[in-house]
This record gives sequence, structure tokens and C-alpha cells, in this order.
Amino acid sequence: MKLRRSLPRPARYSGFGLLRHALGGAPWPPVWRRHDLRDRYDVVVIGGGVHGLATAYYLAANHGVNNVAVLERGYLGGGASGRNTAIIRSNYLTPEGVAFYHRSVRLYESLAADLNFNVMFSQRGHLTLAHTDSALRTMRWRAEVNKLQGVDSSLVGRSEIGSLVPHLDVSDRPRFPILGGLWHPPGGIVRHDAVVWGYARGADAAGVHLHQDTEVVGIDVTGGRVQGVRTNRGRIAAPAVVACTAGWASTVCDLAGVALPITTFPLQAAVTEPVRPFLDTVVVSGTRHVYVSQTDRGELVFGAAVDPFPSYSSRGSLEFTEGVAAHVLELMPALAPVRILRQWAGLCDMTPDFSPVMGPTPVEGFYVDVGWGTYGFKAGPVAGETMASLVATGKTPDLIAPFDLARFTDGRLVGERGAAAVGH
Amino acid sequence: MVLLPCPHCGPRDAAEFGYVGERAARPDPGAATPQQWRGYLYLRRNPAGWADELWLHRAGCGRYLAMSRHTVTGDIRAVRDAATGGAD
Amino acid sequence: MRLDGQPGEVIHRGTPLTFTWNGRPYPAFAGDTIGSALAAAGERVFSRSLKYHRPRGLLTADGNDPGCLVQVDGEPNVRGAHRRVSAGMAVTAQGVWPSLRFDLKALNRLAGPALSTGFYYKTFIRPRRLWPYYERVLRRFSPGGRVPSPSSPAGRYEHRYAHPDVLVAGGGPAGMAAALAAAEAGARVMLVDDQPALGGHLRWGGPDGLAALAQLRAAVAAAGGIEVLTDSVVTGQYEGGLVAVVQHGLPGLTERLVKARPRQLVAAAGLIERPYVIAGNDLPGVMLSTAVRRLINLYAVRPGARAVVFTANDDGTAAAADLARAGVDVRRVVDARDGGDIVRVRGRGGVRAVECGDGSVVRCDLLVTAVGWTAPTGLLTMTGGRAAYRAGAARFVPTELPDGVLATGGLVGDGTLAELIGHGRAVGQAAARRAGRTAPASPVPDLVPAPHPELFAGRTNGFVDFTEDVSTKDLAAAVAEGYDSIELVKRYTTATMGPTQGKLEAVNTIAVVAAATGRGIPETGTTTARPPYAPVSLGALAGRNYQPVRRSPMHDWHVAHGATPLVAGAWIRPDHYGDPAGEVRAVRQGVGIIDVTPLGKFELRGPHIPDLLELLYVNRWRKLAVGAVRYGVMCTEDGVVFDDGVTGRLGEHRYLLTATSSGAEAVGEWLERWLQTERAHWRVHVVPMTDAYASINVAGPRSRELVRRLTTGIDLSPEAFPYMRVRLGEVAGVPDCVVWRIGFTGELSYELHVPAGNGLRVWEALLATGVDLGVRPFGVEAQRILRLEKGHLVVGQDTDGLTQAYSAGLDWAIKMDKDDFVGKPELAWQRVRDGQVVLVGLQPADPELVPPESSQLVEGDRRIVGRITSSRFSPTLDRSIALGFVAPDLAEPGTVVTMLLPDGRRLPARVMPQLAHVDPEGKRLHG
Repeated sequence: MKLRRSLPRPARYSGFGLLRHALGGAPWPPVWRRHDLRDRYDVVVIGGGVHGLATAYYLAANHGVNNVAVLERGYLGGGASGRNTAIIRSNYLTPEGVAFYHRSVRLYESLAADLNFNVMFSQRGHLTLAHTDSALRTMRWRAEVNKLQGVDSSLVGRSEIGSLVPHLDVSDRPRFPILGGLWHPPGGIVRHDAVVWGYARGADAAGVHLHQDTEVVGIDVTGGRVQGVRTNRGRIAAPAVVACTAGWASTVCDLAGVALPITTFPLQAAVTEPVRPFLDTVVVSGTRHVYVSQTDRGELVFGAAVDPFPSYSSRGSLEFTEGVAAHVLELMPALAPVRILRQWAGLCDMTPDFSPVMGPTPVEGFYVDVGWGTYGFKAGPVAGETMASLVATGKTPDLIAPFDLARFTDGRLVGERGAAAVGH
Repeated sequence: MVLLPCPHCGPRDAAEFGYVGERAARPDPGAATPQQWRGYLYLRRNPAGWADELWLHRAGCGRYLAMSRHTVTGDIRAVRDAATGGAD
Repeated sequence: MRLDGQPGEVIHRGTPLTFTWNGRPYPAFAGDTIGSALAAAGERVFSRSLKYHRPRGLLTADGNDPGCLVQVDGEPNVRGAHRRVSAGMAVTAQGVWPSLRFDLKALNRLAGPALSTGFYYKTFIRPRRLWPYYERVLRRFSPGGRVPSPSSPAGRYEHRYAHPDVLVAGGGPAGMAAALAAAEAGARVMLVDDQPALGGHLRWGGPDGLAALAQLRAAVAAAGGIEVLTDSVVTGQYEGGLVAVVQHGLPGLTERLVKARPRQLVAAAGLIERPYVIAGNDLPGVMLSTAVRRLINLYAVRPGARAVVFTANDDGTAAAADLARAGVDVRRVVDARDGGDIVRVRGRGGVRAVECGDGSVVRCDLLVTAVGWTAPTGLLTMTGGRAAYRAGAARFVPTELPDGVLATGGLVGDGTLAELIGHGRAVGQAAARRAGRTAPASPVPDLVPAPHPELFAGRTNGFVDFTEDVSTKDLAAAVAEGYDSIELVKRYTTATMGPTQGKLEAVNTIAVVAAATGRGIPETGTTTARPPYAPVSLGALAGRNYQPVRRSPMHDWHVAHGATPLVAGAWIRPDHYGDPAGEVRAVRQGVGIIDVTPLGKFELRGPHIPDLLELLYVNRWRKLAVGAVRYGVMCTEDGVVFDDGVTGRLGEHRYLLTATSSGAEAVGEWLERWLQTERAHWRVHVVPMTDAYASINVAGPRSRELVRRLTTGIDLSPEAFPYMRVRLGEVAGVPDCVVWRIGFTGELSYELHVPAGNGLRVWEALLATGVDLGVRPFGVEAQRILRLEKGHLVVGQDTDGLTQAYSAGLDWAIKMDKDDFVGKPELAWQRVRDGQVVLVGLQPADPELVPPESSQLVEGDRRIVGRITSSRFSPTLDRSIALGFVAPDLAEPGTVVTMLLPDGRRLPARVMPQLAHVDPEGKRLHG
């Protein structure tokens, strides 16, 4: 489906290169450059997170469109891309969701090689715990749909769970005992910043302009067609504008007069001090509203459901860490002395059916890649690939056809909601 | 633990309340086009600023409250019992 | 080496004790920290660094010491320079192999230059299949201690709530003065300090300080209204003014989290001394001036034999005096204020010499630096305060305080002891006033940071972040590679992201990045401070594990009679009593009783009830007569099935509405929502009655006989009390019972709602009275089988989040000719739309095969055309039965569909003419 053109390459990264630079003392060249704003770009991408950068990268890499600007209000990857818990998986509930995220996992698998940047994708397996009959039923549903799409996913029992994660209490003692789980071996975690930097480096090398500290303050639309954007650094004319602005989707699309089915909720996360490796898989408990993984540095990363009410504030709350701690200790009581070091929040653009909104809008030339809720990072590569294809060719790729904005007025919602309550 | 002002109970921990949604007028179900009805069902203003919201004081008086809340600062400039009407 | 008695020492020489370090016994005194006891015993190396496994010793000799993170028994990452040692404590070094002394991982140093910052992003890229192996090696180098084994006993943690008028964070002289002044004004004060005793820097500051400290302590003890929390740390301030404090060292308790909501917070956290960044600055034997003063004055430990002191302030001078008094040979004092500098620390495994700016080399085993202070403004900036850099004082200072917060002491500025106390008093008074107390409105005197030279990093490459092994060169390299904002540098190098949370390293990091970018410190800015201000254990955050459980009045009876418990949300219910199939047969052939107390129940009163029911249910209610019952289905505005249940009319303006057990809460809120927002002029009262009634369903052909024996005042004849009617009366001598004739099980059955206090009495009476009828209790599993035999759907199992009512086989109930009901527009459109899935009854061709629920129905290789939503083996039919969704073209009765089982088998099943597998005509119900 894609034409990979040969790109100008930055200095190649390799173990040998590391040694050469170490011995020779020569500094590595910059991963990206700063540019003046051009008056006109073929495509303007709003948002310098993984979605925006991947879209720009694939526009250049797959379609030869490199007169592209990525506009980022703060620093690259400073929004949701740098605040998520970096869990990758494809064990969704609906065939549409599974096919889409399956492609994303595939792209993640080859991303380090494609970008010549080690994104440290660790396919250590993803285990979702069931504490109720209905959760088990939904997991079996997911497993069956997954298998039909060629995704490795199956139901496991208590003893298997106990051997996968010895620290889990699989007895009947907890208030909500673990009854079973959904085991998804290709799932895992990735170094989120590295994904951002890898795409940024690749896009920059291909000629894309990355503009940090550049805020879009207006979107010019005349006659139902987008003309360009206004920024704090000046006006840019562009026949195509793509909004990849996650939690800020509503405010950015409002500039173009496009209404969205989106509500912004903070999603909090926390990280502990490093401890020796003891947790080899990602563990998720939807019923207990928590997910846990251990980084290569030894830190435990915790997440939960989105905050109970909408907000654009990314301040952390005490009740979040209290809740996470209580739920983690129900699952793994021995972790009581482990200390939380840091907590933070990102903003999630939640949709009514827990599926994204991707594609054209009523404003010609204005595209959206939003509605990513709590699952945007997982989709970064495939979203970039498909949005680039849409913008470059004008044709909506099959993978994202079900996620169009018009589904909300046509009554064609995607049924992902059942599995996604805390579906990390 | 933000405190929210309940017109009946006074300032209470936000954990006592449930967020219901943005307040929106229900279109005439007999006359609404699919477009209008689904706009009501799904489209949201989602402002980064003052929002008109419906809350439930679940662990308190059990009343639904109409609240004007700032989604960036968390400030609340007006709150009333949803049943009392008032300037919308 | 231990010194003779020091005037301010906190060790108790009368209480010697023994603990172990890496398995070997060591002596200590009560009051020692792990670090001070080991230092007194001559140990200098306490840990190995993250990347290069360089030996590390004491640097700050307090809780922020990056070189003294140790494992204590099962607890990882203990701050060894803060934690008091106790008898028998087993302390070990973390992450070393095979031992602290001889650590093979130190071989990393040979690869040092190649392990430059971010090296892992640049290598291990190809071949892809080797990455998991590289990753395993990388993980082996992760720092930190070991988590306790799964079987180890848990500590005890709890929560406390507090509402002081004023909370003072920091018990140094300014904090104590603030607490005293606030208390004098009548404020209730909580005074928190992380040390075992109040005093701050006065504790190790010399004889004048000790005398002043004694006075302050006595005044605090004498003042009413000051609660002192020592060995406790403020871990954060959150929105709404909530302050979290973690208390340690309480008897019988591992930790306690105090959730305080003070009217005013006074931040008096003092100052943190900064390390100096030059080559060799991490060698064991390099210490801060405050570290050696703590060691000498608090713990009577001589920190070295021969010292060089590099100072830019009076504290360094005072440290030199302390060293001399302790018998340390102070070989040279290099004073930055006189243009002196040091360039490099030489040594391997410990300090051997210091290379000075003038080219001289001084042999020594201890380098003491006093190069400046960091004001810990994080507590203020994480809740909206601001801080700005003051070049003349070489530190960030608070410039804007959040609401409800005041600050005093070193955090604000420098001064004499009297000035600090004077400032503290004025701030304490202001806090009391703001908290509504009457206090003199004396002006708060100025307290400004003293002039100080800007000394962050010297000319050579040194460690900026000790816990992360990030050096000057690493930061400069990151900037050169384009990671040129402070946040990107932080993320790329991980500087300030370790266990010290940047308290020690942040300002040096900013200074080095500023130098590398040429932007200056103010333009470089700070990284965002995030809670918690100090690390908090999961145990303290979780507290005691309270989780509510709901039980019916008959719960103990079920337990006593061998019921297998079923966790059903908040409720614990009897799943079965050992033989669910037998329980089903009892119901079909005789009579059974089931505890259905969790069923949602709402009593409605008022004249507008029919309007409400007409609006919220898809079916019709206006003509429901007194004594009649109707089944209703509720949808949400998108036409999706939300809940179902029966509602009976008990009187002219009195109805009893039931909802599913799991949906009860949501239904109650739904009723109120419509009544309070959209239809506020309707007069309907909704009273939740779920727990007020114990509910018992009596089901089976002999149920009438059984109920008749216990009921007074109700004519149970089929003519007088037919199906779908409700009556009020007395059951087993209990008045005010509601008796329904309904049938979820598909049998003749009566549902009894009994005032909860008498539930058990009625339950036992039914069993006792019905012995000859063969009555037996049945559980939830038998009920599930019975309802599936009858084809009654369960909302949430046989429907999902997108199932609109026409897909759930509810066409018969939906009354599109009503003017309005919730969900009507969407259902109107659904009715005329093609391609909608349909719920049907299914029977596998193989009667023995029960397809697991959620098995998919497929066509061809992988096209999904439906799924099994419910399945059981039917004891009544002696075959497997199911409900499931199918595509509309497969809904015709008799169609054979293909089930794909989880084990991969593809087997046929037949679509039935109706949902009910047993008694589709309903003869049993109506009997």
C-alpha cells in the first residue's frame, strides 16, 4: 500500500557510531533544526505530538509531500504524547478497532529500524484481569474477535496468571478476587519520548519544518474551504490543515467552526522510585481501575481511569494516588513500601463510543485526527500513516473509514465502549 | 480534593458529586431531524473556559445542580438547584 | 570514627545496639541514622551509581542523600542518612553484584564514553530480534532495591483527617516562631518537621543556636494548641487547600497519612545545600558543609582525617571550624569570595587529593563544599505559586504565593536568628488572622536572600545528577543534539527524575543547560514541579482497606446452609447450594425460593407517576389499574436499552417500581434527573426501597399452595389474583408485605417484598411450611438457567452498549404512537433501518455442547455474523440452549448458523422460532 521513497538520512545511529563518536569526541548532529516560518506550506499539521509528527513523517516518507509544517504550541511531545503510560496493544473489542490497532502494533515492531531510533518497544505481554463474570464474558468476546483478526489473545485462568505475575494475589482473599484474565503476548510498553523524537528526527531529515513555541490562534476558512492558519508568529497559507491536538481538539476545531463529539477529561498517572525488575508484563484491572507496568529503569508506572469530571487542568490530585495505591495493593499487597515519586496528568479527548474521529470535516481541506481519549499513543504510527495517505491522496483508507466524523450524525457508532472503560 | 458549593449543603468534597454532562436543551422529539437530535446527543461545546454543566450531589442532598464552572481554573461562578429554573 | 560527647548530639550512648550491613554486624547508638552509624564505623561506600556503578558515599547526610539509598529488610530505597537505625535491622546495599566492594557492573566504566546520555536510543536497533536480549541486560542495570516477596507480612498504615487553623511545614526557628505566634492568637496549629526533633539548622549550628533552640522548644511545649508532628513530611499541597502529611515512627504503625485541610499553610522548609559540579565530585569523601556539620554535631562522627574546604559563604567557614574542633586536619580553606576555586577531585573509590584553581594539589580524604543554597519552592509552585531566579543571591525565590499559603524562613530569605524568628512571628500572626483569629497586625519585616556568588559548575566535567549519573558533558551533548529546552533535556538525559526528585540537582541542571544554550538561567526556566513533594509509600496512600459489602437479611442463613458466594457488585449473593441443576428441577416440578433482595426497588408517590412512566419506559402505562403490574423497558436518548423491570400500582397515587440489581442506582438517578431537570413541575416522590425490603421469589407449580399457607388478607385464587397483579397483605404474620405475581423464571411464582427486619423470619417460615411441598432454596445460577429456558433477556448480558430496543426483540413493547418517550426518535429511525442485528433463541445441534458465552457466529473464514450472549445446559430440556445476536438475514427460524468456539471448533446451531426454549406459550406462568 505504500511507496517508500528514499529519504535524506541524518547521521546513522548504531553501536558502532556510538563508539566512533565516543572515541573521536565528535558531537552528534542535531536531531532536528529550527526554521523561519514560511508563508505557505502544502500541509500544516497542528500539534507536535506523536500523531502530528507521524502524519508529517509519512507524508514525506510515503508520499513525497515534504513542504509540511508541524506547529507545536510548547515543546515537541509535551502534551499527551509525553504524559501517557506508553502501553501498546491491539486486543480491542470491535473488528474495526482490532484491525486498526493491529496495524499500529506492526508499525511499532519495525519502528526502531524504520526511524533508526531505538524506541525500546518491549513486547512483554499485556494481561487484563477479570474480577466479575461479566468482565470474563467481555474478555472472551475480545479474545474471539482478536483471534479472528490474527491477533494473539486468549483467556487465562488463575494459575497461569499466578505464574505470569507471582506478586498478584490470586487467592479468594481480596474483596474482588481475580477470576481470570485476557492474555495478549504482543502487547507491551514503549519509550514514549523516543517515539516522538524518532518521528521528529525522521520528519526533519525529510524536509518537514518543525515549529515549536508556535501556537495556532486562528484558522482561515472561506467558502467552506480552509485557506490557512494564523499563529503567534504569523500567518501561513495552506490548502490542507490537519488537527492532531488531542485534549485541545475542541478548542482548535472551534477555530474552524467544526463541532466535535468530544469532552476533555484529565487522565492521571504516577511513577514510583525504581525497584529491581519483578513485573514482566503489563497488568490491567478494569474493575479495580488501575494499570501497572515496570519500565526498563525499574520504575512502576501506574494509570487509572480518566478523572470523574472534565477539565483542562493537568494538576495531579491526592485522591488519584490514594485510589491507585489502594487498588494496586489489592492486587499486589507486597508493594506497600514502594514509594510514588511523581504524578502528572494529561488531557484526553473522549468520544461517546470510545473510538477516534479521523478524516475529513465539513470544511474542505480541514482534517481531524482527534477523539483519542486514553488510547491515542497506541495508535500514533497507524494514525500518521493513514492520515498522511488521506491528505496526500484524498482517499480515505479502509482502516479509518469507520472512524469518520459523520458517523455521529448518521448513527453509526463504533462499539468499542464495552471494552474500553479502563482498557489500557 | 476540590470543594464544590452545594446550594443546599454548603461546600463539599467533589468526590460527593457526580458530573452528569453539559447542559443542553432537549430538541422537540417530534420535530427534530436526525442531525439536530444527534447534535443534542453527541456534540459538545467542551470549552476551555466557562461551561454550563449539570451535576448531581450524589452523596449529599441528591439534587441535580446547574453549575457554571471554569474548566481551566476550576472556579465556580454560579450554582443553583436544577429544578428552580433560572436564567439559562 | 566516633567523637567524644558533642553538646547537641542526638545519639543515646546509653543505648548501644547492633544491626547488620551486608550481613555483617555493626554497632550503633539509638538515635543514629544508618548512615551515621556506618560512617562512625569507618565505612565510606554505601551504594553504587546507576550507570557506571561508581562507588558513592555520604554527600548530604540527610534524607536527600543520593549516595545512601539502601535496602532495609523488605523495604527498598530507604534513605539511609535519614532513617534511624534499630536493633536487628538488616541493611544491605542495592543493585550490586556480587558485592558492594567488588562490583562487576563497574566494568561499565570501561565503556563509559560510549554510554553517553541517551545511548540506548542510538543502538540495539538491528537486528530486531536481539532487542529483547539487550533489553534484559539493560533491565539488570536498573537501580533500586527489591520489593518484598509476595508472602511477606504487610505493614500497618492508616489515614487521619485534620482541620487545623494553621499548618506550619518545617520546624526550624522561623517555623517554630510562626507556630508560636499563631498559637498565641488562639489558632490551632499543626507543626510538621521531617526530623525526629524540632530545630532545623539550629540543631547542628553551634552553642548559640542550641541555647536558642532550647528556649523555642520549651515555648512550643508550653504553648497550648500546637500539635507537633516530628519524623513527618508534608508531601504535597493539592487543590482546595488539602495538605498531605506522612507521619513515621508511630508505635504499632508503619506510616500514617494525615489529610489536613488547614485554613492557612505556612511553608518554612528552609534551604537545601547544593553540590558543586566538578570532576570527581561524586567520590566518597566529597561532602556538603551541612553534611559534615550534621555528622559532627548530631552524631559525633568525624567525617575524615584531612580535609579541604571550598566555601563561598559563612556556613563553609563554620564547617571548617567544626572540622578543626573535631580533630580533622583542615589542610586548606579555599574561599570563592576571595577568588579561590577548585577544579577537580582526585581519587579512586574515595577522595585522595583536590586540585585547586591555582594549580596546587592538596592531599586529603575529605572535600567539603559550601557553594550555595536551593530554596525548595516546589511545594509552592505545584499549587500555582511562582518562583524567579535572583542572580545576586544565586537562587530561585518565591515571588508569588498560592492562595492560603504564606512562607517564612530560608525559603524566603536570609537573616540573623533574631531576624528569622521575627519574620516567622509576623507570618504566624498573619496566618492566624487569615484563619479568622485575632492577632496583632504587625507588618511582616523584610527577609531577603543574602548576596551569594553564582557557583554551580566548575571548569571540569562533573556529576550534575548523582542518582541518574548525568554529567555536565551529558547535558551539553543533549543540548547540542537539539534537545534544547529544559523539559526536553530532562526527558532525554533523565536529569532530576531520580529518587531525590531534583531537590539537589535541579538548579545545577538549569545552570548547566543555560550555559550550554547561552540563554541564561531566567530564560532557561524551571521544569514543572509535580506532587508529591516527597516520595510517599503506596501503603500510606492506600491506608486501611475499607470496602463496603452489602448483604441481605438472609445472608447468614445462606452461609450456614452451604451457599457458594457470588460477588455481584457490592452484594454477596448465594450462587447455588451445591446443585444448581437440582435447584432448577425443584422449581420446575415443585417449589423453590430465592433471595432476590438486591433487586432495585423504588416507591413512587404523587399524581404525575403515569406521566413519568410514560416518558421513561418505551411502553404504555396510563391505563395501569390499581393492583396491576406491567413489565417495562427503559432506553437512553440514543435508543439503547438501559434497564428493565416490573412496576405495580399499589394505590391511586402509589406505585412500586423495580429495576435490575446492577442498574438500581443508575435507575434511581435517572428518575430523579428527569423529575428535577426536564419535568420539575411534575409531582412525584421517589423513595429508594432496595434495602428496606427483603425480597423472596417463590417459584414453581406448588408456589401458590406454599404462599397460601402463610398469607392472610390476600385471595390467592387465580381468578382473584391472576398473573401480573400485585397485592398488599400479611405474610407469615408480618404485615405490610407486597406480594407480586410475576415470573422471571417462567413458572407460576410470587415475589414477596417483606420489611427487611422480618426477611429471615419469612424465609425460614417458607422453608418450614413447605417441607411437604418439597420446597428448597435456589441460587443465582439456577435462576440464570431458568430465565434462559424462558428466554428472558438480561440487560447488559443479552444487550450491550449499542443495543437499541428493536435489536433486543422488544418490538412488542415499543409504542411508537406515544407522543414522546426517552429514546423515541432514535428508535423510530432504527425501525426503518436495514441491517440491524437481532436477538434470537439458539440451540446447538449437539445437545451436549454448551457453547461458551461470547463464542462468535461466523460465516466463511472469518466474517463475524453474530455471537452467543447467554448459554447453559437446560436440565428441563436435557439439552444445551442459548440466546445470541445474529445478522438479520440469519434470524429466520430454522436457519443453521456456525458457532466458532474458543477452542477453534466450528459447530452448527439452529435459530429457534422464539426466545423461549421452555413453555413459549406461557402456560406455566399463567397457571
